[in-house]
Amino acid sequence: MVSGPNLGNTIDGIVVGFFLWNFTLEVYSELSNSLIREAQWGTLEQLYMSPEGFGWISFFQVLSSFSFFFLANIGFLYLMMLTTGRFLHLRLGSTLPILVLVLLGVAGIGYFLGGLTLVFKRVESFLQIVQFVILALVMFPLESFPLIKYFPLAYGADLLREVMINGKTLSQFPPSDLAFLVLNSVFFFAIGFGAFKYFEGVAKRKGLLGHY
Amino acid sequence: MKKLEKRYGRGEDSVQAVNGISFGADTGEIVGLLGPNGAGKTTTIKCISSLITPTAGEVRIEGRSIQNDPGEPLKKTSAVLEGNRNVYWRLTPRENLEFFATLQGINLARKRDDIRRLLSSLRLEKKIETPARKLSRGMQQKLALAAALVREPELLLLDEPTLGLDIQASRDMEHRVKELADDEDITILLSSHDMDVVEEVCDCVIVLQEGEIVVDDRVGNLIDLFRAEGYSLIIEGALDETAKNHLKGKFDLTINSVSRDNRTELEVRLAEPEQIYRLLEIVEEGGAQVISLDRKTPDLEEVFLNIVEGGENER
Repeated sequence: MVSGPNLGNTIDGIVVGFFLWNFTLEVYSELSNSLIREAQWGTLEQLYMSPEGFGWISFFQVLSSFSFFFLANIGFLYLMMLTTGRFLHLRLGSTLPILVLVLLGVAGIGYFLGGLTLVFKRVESFLQIVQFVILALVMFPLESFPLIKYFPLAYGADLLREVMINGKTLSQFPPSDLAFLVLNSVFFFAIGFGAFKYFEGVAKRKGLLGHY
Repeated sequence: MKKLEKRYGRGEDSVQAVNGISFGADTGEIVGLLGPNGAGKTTTIKCISSLITPTAGEVRIEGRSIQNDPGEPLKKTSAVLEGNRNVYWRLTPRENLEFFATLQGINLARKRDDIRRLLSSLRLEKKIETPARKLSRGMQQKLALAAALVREPELLLLDEPTLGLDIQASRDMEHRVKELADDEDITILLSSHDMDVVEEVCDCVIVLQEGEIVVDDRVGNLIDLFRAEGYSLIIEGALDETAKNHLKGKFDLTINSVSRDNRTELEVRLAEPEQIYRLLEIVEEGGAQVISLDRKTPDLEEVFLNIVEGGENER
């Protein structure tokens, strides 16, 4: 198991942590927020009437929000590096795959919250609570809290710190570390997407899809 | 649609929105769904468009079940469900239509000219690059219809398509809906509170009440049925109580008396047209002089009220 430096103790750690926290926050909340917006606009039911199914539409929505927020947050990251004077390692070949895997698990959280939005509608307060849980998962060091590696985000955040702070490349990680990250992310994506489909079924049974 | 049933909730608090209804529509036919609030019109439309999962029963579009295999039926179906709220207000009409065409898997390269033609046919050609939020309500509603039509549907579901429109915009919408069925063979299921719209554009009408079909017939047949039963009888002076009681006791009659200029108008519905002769005898025996007798031509609104009120009286 890898272990990163305690983020609270280093400026590098704070920069990486803030970058990842902000990025994940935007990606997972985008799905819920877009569901709320579409329901308010009256266009959600139109999207659900697409023959390709809403699953594909939301997948591309997540993909486009990932691309948009990735570019925005890279710009933000450079700004943080300039102002702190601490320059991190940004090897795209190592950073991007880990980031994509981390965000896969985060998309699972987004789908879960999106499903809750379909049924319960006003979930903004709950989303605000979740952002502090996400902050804890990103910031807590694995060496002090080893069990959080079984949660989404935490293990990937640790690998990302190794890449961005210590300059490790993907090939320097043991395959078991990467395999665990893949399994963790796929597991939480599947759980989140499964929950979304379940809540979608509930919303269709209760006639709640277009309500807000 | 076979034995469609939808119950919201469970136990004592549950609501039976749709109760085992079955009906069908032929290609190019316009079917009107009528009913008071809570009759199950919107639930029925949303079950057909797979937005609500029915409790029981089946919806088939061109032989394919929308519940088991929604992909193919949805390629042939589009809907205007919330009037002017079905489009993106920040996008222009052109952008909205391009978006919805893409969503349907339609190749935009071959659709661009069609989009212009479609917007022109709805008299939106001058607003093609204006954000939807800046259009009038009538134009937004037309845009919502255009967004549904750009999907090249064979079945079009319209939930209250003229709600909130002024008379001219409503007439435009009626005209366009009729054209769609007549010229493009699109099958249309239309729900509306506006009887004039249903009478004007629909071939058939289904009246729903408390989730059940109480009438499923052609519009003309319904009006004929009630035309044969309705009479307006104007008499000099007022009908005395004895004659009134005699009429009510002798026949299955509904009498509305409106006294004006020393005359009384009796609005009468008879179970059999032949009963009119006995009615006249009783009125004359009561000392009243008959001024005129007319067969009434009801509009769909009267037909609807007769059906719904009749249904309520039977319960």
